[in-house]
Amino acid sequence: MIDPLVVSLKISSSGLRVQSQRMRIVSENLANVQSTGDTPGANPYQRKTITFKSEVDRALGANLVEVKNIGTDKGDYRIEFDPSHPAADENGNVKYPNVNTLLELADMREASRSYEAGLQMMVKSREMITRTIDLLRSR
Amino acid sequence: MEPVYLFSLVSRQNSWLSVRQSTISENIANVDTPGYASKDVEPFKDILDKTSIRMAATQSGHISEDGSNSRRVRVNSSEAWEVSVSDNSVSLEQELIKSGEVARQHSLNTQLVGSFYGLMKSSLGR
Repeated sequence: MIDPLVVSLKISSSGLRVQSQRMRIVSENLANVQSTGDTPGANPYQRKTITFKSEVDRALGANLVEVKNIGTDKGDYRIEFDPSHPAADENGNVKYPNVNTLLELADMREASRSYEAGLQMMVKSREMITRTIDLLRSR
Repeated sequence: MEPVYLFSLVSRQNSWLSVRQSTISENIANVDTPGYASKDVEPFKDILDKTSIRMAATQSGHISEDGSNSRRVRVNSSEAWEVSVSDNSVSLEQELIKSGEVARQHSLNTQLVGSFYGLMKSSLGR
């Protein structure tokens, strides 16, 4: 059996990995907030979503977390009237991405909060390992 | 010899604490997983009570009941502080408090063992 403290480090790192994936999706959405098409009536960038799932790792005997799916948001596009835009249709309407900046920022905050908690657990587990090893030190 | 009993007790509690620590890590890693229920390990007292009579283990493959390699994890949905819309019952605050308890107890145990080592050493005259 692997030492539970080492398992703890591995579980925490799986948590950190999915949270950074989530961060990546958030920044992708934020970067593309104005990405429209370039032909008349073309569809703009579609917002991406990420979902997580808990996966049992038999070797570790623990539930790690993984990215389940990176999908797209099927919500309506933002329509703005701008006849001079290259992506404007015959009525002069331009489709903008269905990205809500506030929503993305809230998501980003949640991701970084969860990341911090995971990091804290890693620090704590490492401290416990170090303290145990320190018992060998001559006093 | 008395101190030997103390050492085995401390080492058992430390291994219980590390199992608890990894369970807390699991909860924190799954803080955003839909449908995940928060878990905790069986209290140390219960494990101690159950292991007063031991089965003899003469080979490495035999079942042993010393609490160190049995990973008894249970779901404690009733103790959860909050359950989110996605049916996730992990509360970061609650988990971090638990991890603080674990860290405190572990540091107490290791320091205790350290000072007992010192005592044994001084009785040897070094």
